[in-house]
Amino acid sequence: MSKDMKFLVVDDFSTMRRIIKNLLHDLGYQNVLEADDGKTALPMLQAGGIDFLITDWNMPGMPGLDLLKAVRADPKLAKLPVLMLTAEAKREQIIEAAQAGVSGYVIKPFTAETLKEKLDKILSTAAK
Amino acid sequence: MAPLPALKTQYGARVEALSAALARDDEAAFLAVLDDMLHTRKPALFNELRDLTSTLQVALDRFRLDARLADFAEKEIPDARQRLAHVLKMTDEAAHRTLDLVEQSGPPADRTAKAAAALAGSWQRFRDRRIELKEFHEMLKRMDAFLPAARADSELIRKNLNEVLLTQGYQDLTGQIIRGVIELVREIEAAIVELARLSGGESSGAERQGRAARGHGPVVPGVTQGEVATGQQDVDALLSGLGM
Repeated sequence: MSKDMKFLVVDDFSTMRRIIKNLLHDLGYQNVLEADDGKTALPMLQAGGIDFLITDWNMPGMPGLDLLKAVRADPKLAKLPVLMLTAEAKREQIIEAAQAGVSGYVIKPFTAETLKEKLDKILSTAAK
Repeated sequence: MAPLPALKTQYGARVEALSAALARDDEAAFLAVLDDMLHTRKPALFNELRDLTSTLQVALDRFRLDARLADFAEKEIPDARQRLAHVLKMTDEAAHRTLDLVEQSGPPADRTAKAAAALAGSWQRFRDRRIELKEFHEMLKRMDAFLPAARADSELIRKNLNEVLLTQGYQDLTGQIIRGVIELVREIEAAIVELARLSGGESSGAERQGRAARGHGPVVPGVTQGEVATGQQDVDALLSGLGM
């Protein structure tokens, strides 16, 4: 995976999308698309070309967990790295996300270091 | 209840007939008059029973509504107050943190600008080849100090800007909490509309809607129940326990 890999950031708050996008830019990833919930994200993913999905959980329309399940159920997308970046912090939810096949889980509020660490970890696992 | 004169007209003659039959020991006549009287009375009894039932129904409806209102008053409204207080605290902290960072970034920016301006005169004379040797040596010394200082100050400002950016993330969290409170207010509104309807007022037709299972939203101290990860380390420990 190179620095020109394409990210899709899904969050219903534009401020949070901006923050994540800026952090990704700082890490050298310039190619970042945005969507405000699972319903708008899924067709973008199915259209192809996206290498990494970062999604919130709690969103109107289609929540992040449903998006994750839809991604894992789609043979073309099943192996896409998915990082859940969410305020949902209940143990049962984290376990639910893990069982649904999430690649990483970061809770808000988060730091730039945490995001970088999780991205690097997921990408190094995906490269193996 | 019919007034007494009406009862007199309705039953007076029959009561007299009853006592006459009794005096005569005429059992058949007595029972016939009595049956007739009971027959007259029956529809009135049914009407009273019907009234009683509907009063009971209203009382039951009201009791259910009262239970819901009590729940709002005892639990959900205090919770909402706590959530909003948490929003206030988060927005306050974010605003102060942003102001701190902006204030911390002013001096290094000023320092760099001042030092650059101080160097500019000597640099121009050097470019015009009319600088004196003493000023030239002075300029070199200043340049030696300026370049690493300018670099350090710019890096500090860049770091502060990144932190300002991250601090704005509060808006996402407070927005989610406020949406939850708005939903509660909507439910209370629906209950009040129903209360008005039971009291004989007009209903606006507002319907109660089930909350979609879209997650619980951010953790609110003192409100969120169940086992909650208190930080990223908790999450990492939980996930590594699951083999991730």
